[in-house]
Amino acid sequence: MTVKTRHTVWVAVVALALAFVFVRSGFDFEYVIPKRLERLATMVIGGICVAWSAITFQSLTGNRILTPAIMGYEAVYLLFQALLMLMLGTRSLMLLGEHGNAALSILLMLGYSWTLHRWLFRDDRDNVYFLLLVGLVLTMVITTFTQFVQLKMNPGEFSILMGYSQATFGNASATQLLYATLIVATICLAGLKSLPMLDVLLLGREQAISLGVDYRRCVQRQLLLIAALVAVSTSLLGPTAFMGIFVANTAYALAGTYRHQVTLPVGCAIAIALFILAQLLVEHLFNYKTTVGILVNLVCGAYFLSLMVRTRGTA
Amino acid sequence: MRVYLPCLFVLLCGISLLVGARQMSGYQLITLSDDAWLTLTASRLPRLITVSLTGVGLSICGVILQHIVRNKFVEPATSGGLDAAKLGILVSLTLMPTAGAGSRMLAALLFCFAANVVFITIVRRIKFTNTVLIPVIGLMYGGMLSALAEFYAYRHNILQSMQGWLLGDFSKIVQGHYEIIYLILPVIVLTYLYAHRFTVLGMGEDIATSLGMNYLVTSTLGLMLVAITVSVTVIAVGAIPFVGLVIPNLVALYYGDNLTRTLPAVALSGASLLLACDIVGRLLLYPFEVPIGLTTACVGGILFMVLIVGRTQR
Repeated sequence: MTVKTRHTVWVAVVALALAFVFVRSGFDFEYVIPKRLERLATMVIGGICVAWSAITFQSLTGNRILTPAIMGYEAVYLLFQALLMLMLGTRSLMLLGEHGNAALSILLMLGYSWTLHRWLFRDDRDNVYFLLLVGLVLTMVITTFTQFVQLKMNPGEFSILMGYSQATFGNASATQLLYATLIVATICLAGLKSLPMLDVLLLGREQAISLGVDYRRCVQRQLLLIAALVAVSTSLLGPTAFMGIFVANTAYALAGTYRHQVTLPVGCAIAIALFILAQLLVEHLFNYKTTVGILVNLVCGAYFLSLMVRTRGTA
Repeated sequence: MRVYLPCLFVLLCGISLLVGARQMSGYQLITLSDDAWLTLTASRLPRLITVSLTGVGLSICGVILQHIVRNKFVEPATSGGLDAAKLGILVSLTLMPTAGAGSRMLAALLFCFAANVVFITIVRRIKFTNTVLIPVIGLMYGGMLSALAEFYAYRHNILQSMQGWLLGDFSKIVQGHYEIIYLILPVIVLTYLYAHRFTVLGMGEDIATSLGMNYLVTSTLGLMLVAITVSVTVIAVGAIPFVGLVIPNLVALYYGDNLTRTLPAVALSGASLLLACDIVGRLLLYPFEVPIGLTTACVGGILFMVLIVGRTQR
């Protein structure tokens, strides 16, 4: 990729961000703009999480049409929120406070992924596809449970639950954002060191092993990082199922290379730009008649479909 | 199988007739007590018929889809068919709110068929390196259809009730509200008649064509049968995952892939599994009920897990 395109992506992000903060704000520095800045920060952190986790996950699986959502993290999150709402009702909002819910969900998702990996990597079975299949089945089972729970609650509680199950940017508070930033920064710093390793993993399992990569350990570590990133982004904005595929694939296309040093920043920029664009559309064009989550899912789903139809290659 | 499976099925039928919120002993039946007969004809028998037909229909659906796609992990829930049916019902509900179950079923059928055709076209164009990826793609494809449905439902504020249709539940089945399920009967008959063709279909397009079969027509027929079954079950009882996935795999493990021979086993075990899940669901919180979608998801999920763990260890 030429350096020029890389800059263009970031210029676009900055332009979109400026538009988001200032368009129809009336330059109200007391309320409107600080609020918007908060949401912008949520988008930036969320975008980094989504892009980073999706691109790494695709490198691990050696496949361009997967996202970590397949593993069932988001399903676990949704079930937890639904159960919380059913058992405690609206009181759960007061009881857990501002950070309780987010912290609990992150812990829960990490616990889920830890048990899953513990169980699956217990013997010599280091097949990522097996993990995928199990994650898929678990997602189906958990989703059924969530549907059942949702049926049992009253419409008021359901509408609050909707706030959690659709991606939105208004939920996070400033302190929560600070914690999220700290976590994401730590993860990314830890992940930076293993970027060359990821490049090697892209060659495939056998090649990676013969080039001297400790495949099992490396995959386990990366999966842990992915789980943490997904947990943060999900608790911050809600589920973003398809977005990873879109972000990763456009990043590869724009970057023209698969080197993670290049694709990861480009992916982050694309994710952030997409979030801002969706939010702008929801605010100014759709007038809140739809949600960012639905919009993003729709666009990215359509992209996924066209990707499947267009590429006659291998998957 | 010759003896065990039919016996099991009959036994489960008997239990299903006798279990329920209203106590009913064999004695009352023999003495022709009006009360007991009312319960039997108005609720128990319709339920038994619905459960068995749904079980048979869904497992047959799974077999047909698996032969067409040539992948063991495909079923209506992992190929977008269910989500498409949901979208169809939603569209017909909002466009023609006064129309009856018939038109809803037609809309569901059309959407489901179209979604299946698109899915098969996509899957056939891609060279897969791993068989697991086909259901993954199917699931994401279904997720996209669901997102479309959500976009639509959110604007009409019927998101919560939409969740309701999709959870399989037999408790609404009483006389007068289940007859649509009989549409599965012709599907079963047709599948039996065409069983050998579907077996050949499973060998791939080239072999099927060189054996003198019209590949396009047969696979279209198969997809049509699947679409009918899926839309009927979604309208009558809601979505029930895993039946179409687990049963064909279990049967194929023991009896192979020759459909003419295995179809009775598939049908009977599908019905038996669903009956067993239904009975468990009725007894778990007696006298209340746990929706069948939940019990089947649990039982089916565990069975499937055992299946794949066993398969990868060999």
